[in-house]
Amino acid sequence: MDEHSGRQRPERKSIGGDLIIPVAALALTVYYFTTIIDVPWTAQVSAFFIGTILILLIIALFIRTAFALRRGEVSLRLGRIIEPVSFIPKRIVLLVLTLSYILFILWGAGFTLTTFAFLALAMLLLSEGRKKRLILVLSTVLAIGGWLLFIVAFETRFPAGPFEWLMKGMF
Amino acid sequence: MEFSWGLFAEQFARTFTFWWVIVPSILLGLIVGAIPGFSAANTIIILLPLTLAMDPEIGMIFMVALYASSRLGAGIPAILVNIPGTAGAAATPLDGYPMTKQGRGQQALAISFVCSTFGGLLTTIIALLAMPWLSQVAYQLHSVEMIVVMIFGISLIASIAARDTLKGLIAGFFGLMIGYIGADVVYETPRGTFGFLELYDGVPLIPALVGLFAISEAFSVIEAESILSEHGRYLMRKSGWGETLEGVRLAFSRWWHIIWTSIIGLIIGVVPGAGAAIAAFVAYQQSRTFSKTPEKYGTGHIEGLIAPESANNGVTSGTLIPLLVIGVPGGATAAIMAVVLQYHGVTVGPDLFLTQPNLAYGPFTTMAVTYAMMILIILPLARYMSRIAVVSTVYMAPIIISFTLVGSFVPRGYVFDMYLALAFGVIGYIARKTGYHVAAILIGVILGPLLEQYFQRALRIAEGDLMVIFSSKLGNVMWVFMLISLVLPFVLDWWRRRQKERQAENA
Repeated sequence: MDEHSGRQRPERKSIGGDLIIPVAALALTVYYFTTIIDVPWTAQVSAFFIGTILILLIIALFIRTAFALRRGEVSLRLGRIIEPVSFIPKRIVLLVLTLSYILFILWGAGFTLTTFAFLALAMLLLSEGRKKRLILVLSTVLAIGGWLLFIVAFETRFPAGPFEWLMKGMF
Repeated sequence: MEFSWGLFAEQFARTFTFWWVIVPSILLGLIVGAIPGFSAANTIIILLPLTLAMDPEIGMIFMVALYASSRLGAGIPAILVNIPGTAGAAATPLDGYPMTKQGRGQQALAISFVCSTFGGLLTTIIALLAMPWLSQVAYQLHSVEMIVVMIFGISLIASIAARDTLKGLIAGFFGLMIGYIGADVVYETPRGTFGFLELYDGVPLIPALVGLFAISEAFSVIEAESILSEHGRYLMRKSGWGETLEGVRLAFSRWWHIIWTSIIGLIIGVVPGAGAAIAAFVAYQQSRTFSKTPEKYGTGHIEGLIAPESANNGVTSGTLIPLLVIGVPGGATAAIMAVVLQYHGVTVGPDLFLTQPNLAYGPFTTMAVTYAMMILIILPLARYMSRIAVVSTVYMAPIIISFTLVGSFVPRGYVFDMYLALAFGVIGYIARKTGYHVAAILIGVILGPLLEQYFQRALRIAEGDLMVIFSSKLGNVMWVFMLISLVLPFVLDWWRRRQKERQAENA
């Protein structure tokens, strides 16, 4: 048995998630550079200037991270991004609902009906199925309120669907 | 263009008679300012048919009142739910939101309302008096100086917004690269567009704002039942009108702070393109640098709320100066105002002060009257508005997602912009969780296209010589000032730590 097993080692800070933004920034910068290779110098220089500074900053962060890893102070686990782990399923379902919200608006369900459905489902998800009646009333009021404010009052070009067409036909 | 107190008094009294335009415009401005996606500029565009049908003077009063009140409105969701209504309020949540979490939302709103209106009023009067001199600021800044202003701005914001300066700078420069996406303005070559036609005009700002602030916040807040702490909920339950009055007292007791930070806003507002976001962050940074308690900033510190709110309202009158005096709009809303005036055959510029003083001085007196009326309308509402913070995240998160997502659709009418907002939401969520401040990314997205334009202009003049960015005396002074501003906080921190250590040793 390990003689140190009784002692608690200081927990290493998880910083794997901290590298996602720099990696994304690096990928965008490199991709951007590939799209400006054939343009004249005056059109390239600004992006090269800013892009080079960004790459240098990212390299500095990577070096700092490498030193911290070497000292054993940090680990490359995702850490804060996925914490608290118990909320991961809710977050994923909420993301899917949000994506569906856009898709249904695009497919012609319109602002009011889609907003009602999204609000009701998302609130039921987050409340774990509690207070169903309140959620249904709230979703209805907010969806119709949104229609009145944005479409009727502000005359915004929100995507129209069956509800909007029906109301337009009636009034 | 001579200013006279008699003319101002007459204008002021005359503007009050248009209360029937100003009051509804204030209410509309507060609403559209508070909803991400509905800035004053968008609303004026949406209501353009109405504005164009109005008498030019009434149209101008409507636009100015809407503009001033929307600036104040943008701070309300920034304080209560950490979502600025417009980019100009991006620095407001730094200390405003922690105050709400502590159950001091009502107090924070009252402070914001007082310093916004007081700062706005003061800078409007200063703008009237100092118009000929302030307009010269816009003349002195050419492409090279503007490059320095932009890089200065983003570096400053990055260093303030994030606790880790390196991460803040990466976020800011990442934002600039995102802002560079789009077709080249001169050669029309698509760059970094991933093949999307919708990105040829560049990355639209509203989906970026909605995604980075609103969507990411909604996905973050669901971890708790309420955004308020336990103690915050207790304070909120027992708060009454006294909290509003306490907020007013706290704001007025820091009257000097309001004055100098709103003047920063006024001066930055005069610089075309710099905008309220830079002004708010510069004021915040200056406030923190010269504070005796810089460590309190970001924890719900009153000065940290006063600085950005005074400055972004100071910008409002500043942006009108170059428009009216030299015909160059200082911001998007000022540009739309110029379009409306031109439609009516009114040419903005120095002659306007001689030919139509009502229209030339009118915007400033309207702004003063708007701020005076606004404080009376909005202050009593602070108590009720602050109750939003009590709403459970179960209801708040879906409401934020749905309404802001559809708000991102409004300016261009592309469903693509809703996908874009969602993509920015994911970036914002990761940024929030890992300490890359979303405000730094957003300001980068805003400044990217402007920076590129100034870069291209400077390089074309200098025939491609990159050293042109160090060719201006004023620009070089600004480079030095930028370095000092970035280094000074570290030096002051080090000096304060040393002082404390010495005191501890002596004790």
